[in-house]
Amino acid sequence: MSIKVDQVLDCKGLSCPMPIVRTKKAMDQLEAGQVIEVQATDKGSLADIQGWARNTGNQYLGTKEEGDVLKHYLRKSNPGEVKEAAKFEHTIQNDELEKALAGNKEDMILLDVREPAEYEFKRIPGAVSIPLGELEDKLDTLDKNKEIHVICRTGSRSDMAAQILSEQGFERVKNVLPGMSEWTGTTEGGNQ
Amino acid sequence: MANKTAIIASNGSAFDAYKVFNIATAAASADYEVTIFFTFEGLNLIHKEGFKNLPLPAGKENLAEGFKAANVPSIPELVEMAVEMGVKIIACQMTMDVMNLKKEDFIDGIDVGGAMMFLDFAKDANMTLTF
Repeated sequence: MSIKVDQVLDCKGLSCPMPIVRTKKAMDQLEAGQVIEVQATDKGSLADIQGWARNTGNQYLGTKEEGDVLKHYLRKSNPGEVKEAAKFEHTIQNDELEKALAGNKEDMILLDVREPAEYEFKRIPGAVSIPLGELEDKLDTLDKNKEIHVICRTGSRSDMAAQILSEQGFERVKNVLPGMSEWTGTTEGGNQ
Repeated sequence: MANKTAIIASNGSAFDAYKVFNIATAAASADYEVTIFFTFEGLNLIHKEGFKNLPLPAGKENLAEGFKAANVPSIPELVEMAVEMGVKIIACQMTMDVMNLKKEDFIDGIDVGGAMMFLDFAKDANMTLTF
């Protein structure tokens, strides 16, 4: 199974420190928010990539193992992403969403607007994946009569998505705050 | 404040070169500021000719095969990468004088200085490593 990414970096056959050095160079060329898949055969690259992400403030999403190849997924973080205040007025807190999900889900859609790789590794069961960048092209896949809860990692992309939906005539939209970064309820995905 | 890593390289075998440059390039990849002070036999690691053929420690010559099999980059490649990533290299003036070496004997892009030049950087480094 392949996950949609913005760039694939081949570090197969390279030993330490090359996977890290190549990853840094490739990440420098990416835009904030883009996702890279780093393919490596160096077993030490798993811990190295995680440590590198922690030190540089980038987001480590997870790793898939396919035979001898480790595929590490990283998202270049946006310095303003965490701080930016949400502007969309209708919001719902994580714990309220958790209660709503325990009830009747017929009337609601949980829309996850993060990148496919983020969704792949950790998501709320039943969440529908439409990355923010594709939302405007996929509006007709969403039912306007249903209540839509929009979620991302920190509430910033979902804020933009909620505004787009609202402008396009969706009337029952709520932005989930703070989002997946502090979600303590049930999740599913490739890391477990 | 950015992380700062100060390294003293004072030995001249291939093993020493890998220890120094692997740590230095990994640190630079994580956006740490890195300065390496090359002194005594450590100068071999940046010597234009010398670094192409650094000796393995006595009795470990058989590991040459292992380096090849693990696809480890050559020392000149690692040094070039380090410099390209902004690792700062200081060659020890005093050792150069003793060994009768000139700045031109070393790779491009280095500084030549004394102990104080290194100490000035190391005084507020959050890691200082010695090899």
